[in-house]
Amino acid sequence: MKNNTERKGLVINILSLISFVILWHILVLLAREQIFNIPFMKMKDLPTPLETWYALVGSMFTHTYGPGFTYGIFDHIKASLVRVVQGGVLAFIIGVPVGIGIGYSRLIHNILNPIIEIVRNMPPMAWIPLAIFILVTGGSIFIVFIGVVFPIILNTIYGVRSTDARIIDAARTLGASEAQIVAKVLIPSAFPSIIAGLRIGFGVGWMAIVAAEMVIQSPVGLGYFIWNMGDLGRYAEMVAGMIVIGVVGYIMNISILLVQKRFVKWVD
Amino acid sequence: MGRLVLKGVSRKFNGYLAVSDVNLEVADGEFVCLLGPSGCGKTTLLRMAAGLDAPTEGELFLDDKKIEGVNKEVGFVFQEYVLFPWRTAKGNIEFGPEMKGVQKDERERISQHYIDLVGLKGFENHYPHELSGGMKQRVGIARAYANTPKLLLMDEPFGALDAQTRNLMQGELLRIWEKEHISALFVTHSVDEAVYLADRVVVLSAGPGAVKEIFDVNIPRPRVRTSPEANALRNEILKCLGAEIQRAAGSEREIHR
Amino acid sequence: MNNISKTLIVVIVTALFAGCIEQQKTPDQPINLVKMSGQDMIQRLGTGEIAGFIGWEPYPAIAITKGYGKPLFYSADIWKGHPCCVVAYDYHWYNNTRNADDILNRMALVQLKSVEYINNAKESGSPDHADLINYSMAFGGMTNSSAAELSLKDVQFVYSPNIPGTETFISKIMDFKIFDSNKWNQSGYKNASDYANHLITNRYVDWAVKNRENNLSSIALKETVTIRYGYLLNDIHELPFYVGWQKGWFRAVGINITMAPGTPFENGAFEMQKGFKTNSVDIGSLGIPPVIIHRINSNDFSVDDARVGVISGMNNEGSIIVVAGNITSLADLKGKTVGYPGPGTIQHVLFLMAADNAGLKVSY
Ligand SMILES: Nc1ncnc2c1ncn2[C@@H]1O[C@H](COP(=O)(O)OP(=O)(O)OP(=O)(O)O)[C@@H](O)[C@H]1O
Ligand SMILES: [Mg+2]
Repeated sequence: MKNNTERKGLVINILSLISFVILWHILVLLAREQIFNIPFMKMKDLPTPLETWYALVGSMFTHTYGPGFTYGIFDHIKASLVRVVQGGVLAFIIGVPVGIGIGYSRLIHNILNPIIEIVRNMPPMAWIPLAIFILVTGGSIFIVFIGVVFPIILNTIYGVRSTDARIIDAARTLGASEAQIVAKVLIPSAFPSIIAGLRIGFGVGWMAIVAAEMVIQSPVGLGYFIWNMGDLGRYAEMVAGMIVIGVVGYIMNISILLVQKRFVKWVD
Repeated sequence: MGRLVLKGVSRKFNGYLAVSDVNLEVADGEFVCLLGPSGCGKTTLLRMAAGLDAPTEGELFLDDKKIEGVNKEVGFVFQEYVLFPWRTAKGNIEFGPEMKGVQKDERERISQHYIDLVGLKGFENHYPHELSGGMKQRVGIARAYANTPKLLLMDEPFGALDAQTRNLMQGELLRIWEKEHISALFVTHSVDEAVYLADRVVVLSAGPGAVKEIFDVNIPRPRVRTSPEANALRNEILKCLGAEIQRAAGSEREIHR
Repeated sequence: MNNISKTLIVVIVTALFAGCIEQQKTPDQPINLVKMSGQDMIQRLGTGEIAGFIGWEPYPAIAITKGYGKPLFYSADIWKGHPCCVVAYDYHWYNNTRNADDILNRMALVQLKSVEYINNAKESGSPDHADLINYSMAFGGMTNSSAAELSLKDVQFVYSPNIPGTETFISKIMDFKIFDSNKWNQSGYKNASDYANHLITNRYVDWAVKNRENNLSSIALKETVTIRYGYLLNDIHELPFYVGWQKGWFRAVGINITMAPGTPFENGAFEMQKGFKTNSVDIGSLGIPPVIIHRINSNDFSVDDARVGVISGMNNEGSIIVVAGNITSLADLKGKTVGYPGPGTIQHVLFLMAADNAGLKVSY
């Protein structure tokens, strides 16, 4: 029974994707044949799905033309992912202790909260000019860090605060010291929350990295790629790059979910 | 060893007197049940005995040592189990020894012993959410025991179980208690349970909680729930308790008016 | 819990390790071209974040005057007399404007006059020299007159379009596979020469040469027309336009210049795509490569929305590869980052040509 509904859902998913691609194709063709155009858009400049596919295949790997050397999509994915992981890991290393500190101690909360409340309301994109003009290097990693660190801090705080007070009491009567309460009770209890924060954070970080790469330029990266292709008027490659960004972000999200499922076995 | 003494214990919460001048003793190896209307301060008493809360007046002693700060010589068993959900049954049981820095092999031995004792064989590696209510409370009891406490504090440990499981667990608890004999202070709402388990039954009066009457249960174990002596005692306790429950309901009505 | 912490450690170590690999540079790496704004080029060369840049004047002059870097190659060292910026008009505007040819004739004439003025005023003894320096500082966004002097030195201001040079550019762009091959086939041009000759016409400059002695007001249009003009940010190459505008020469021939929406543009790619293609620029100045590239790549051939015609030159040469003090040859830039205005710009093509000569690889 459940299997059946699942299969039905999958079929609908696939049909919906296919219909979207067909609709896209038709809209471009209608615009090119000057029959119908979505107002305020140059729909005919949009590549068709097939053109996008060819562009994707064509730019998958590195190319060498004369002295020129262009990176392939895989290099761009790798470069962007490495930046996101570096920024994300840094955010994790800093965000989790900060979150635990704030969640655990009223004093730390009172010291850090005003700063965090203001800084977290500055979107990662707002840090791009600072990253360009003040930072000497690692601008995009810094932008990712900003994007990832606050969801992690907030979720860690939430995880620590929502730990059942009686669980802490139980640990106390079982002889746990304050340090042990933090290490053996608060952290594991907050762990699912922390992972959820990591997932949200990586989502934000992925968006931030692409935005940052479009401004803080480097030789490789998906944001850089789509901007470059746009500059050259190669819209098919540009759209292909956009789709890759979406797919990689999706896969990243799913992977963290899987990690969570694998390691947090104790949540129903 | 494991003698708990409460001397003139009172507890006020922001001016509201929850517990008033309780004098009580749980003798070494004795099983005492606390009965009383809801909100009369039973949980508060237990928390004070565990050092998780402090009396505003009076003193508590465990083996003549004044209870100040968290009392690590008691084992607390909660109504909603309050297990560590991220630890397996075994991990929960080993928590106390682990905090004390007991070596791994020794911990294994301890947990194995209590897993056998409470009848959890085969469920060692299950997480709490994979266990039934009765199983969870077996883990809760084993976890308390594994810390080798001098006194067991149990706050309606079987309150969330269905009637059959509850009866079964009462029997199990007595079996365990007879094997590893330590003093126990057991809170319940069920007169039947109190008469089945306790050496003495303490009835508390409605808020502020104070000792109203103490009943000795002079029925040899194993007890038969429907024996005439048990029935007689049950009626006596119910009468005493019923008056308190009426009083509690009355004051509640007054509050609501 | 043990499992969790182990996995976390593995993830962290892997990530840091991956990061280290990224930082390691193998000896035979390409020179990395990285797109950035002119202000960025100067700034980042100053902080040592990039090893050099190739930019249009005045950015090289400013960086050199500030002592951030030194010239490694002038564009003449790479390709003597190469064409650079041009004046172009939008086909859509042309088809909808009755006296478009008359207007374009006069645009070319003002270009000619401005170029002659600048070329005279460039001499330090000229009475107009101080004025010219002021114009350069204002248009180029400079605060330092010695930077302005320097920036004018290596730019050759011209009015004649350079058809053979444009052909060379087209062939280079083909070699470097910057054209979308699909689109090139749609365009119907036979080869580079065919394309160059369709793109550029000499007729307006010819008219201007014939009328160069005439008083401007004597050949003014009967009715003043308004032209939405597009130009590039701080580009000293386009100084002739600015001089003609400031001197009131456009007005004198009956042309009222207004800044097209989006002007000044960050680079030629923007001016083509956001300006000419959307019909918001009537006439504008920009580098010849963006004209060449977008007429093909981003053009919709059914309406020819990226079609422009080149009526005159603006300048030849005028770009410089500026490098940090420790760089003495192009080979020293291997594995390092070099700023440039973006793919498909004149500087892009020039840098590729320089690397080709030196037998080096360039990533972009
Ligand atoms: N932390 C606290 N702050 C304020 N009031 C409290 C606090 N803890 C308990 N009380 C009050 O003290 C009284 C006794 O509470 P307690 O939980 O000990 O009752 P109880 O006998 O265990 O009730 P039940 O049978 O419902 O579990 C109640 O009126 C309760 O509202
Ligand atoms: Mg209670």
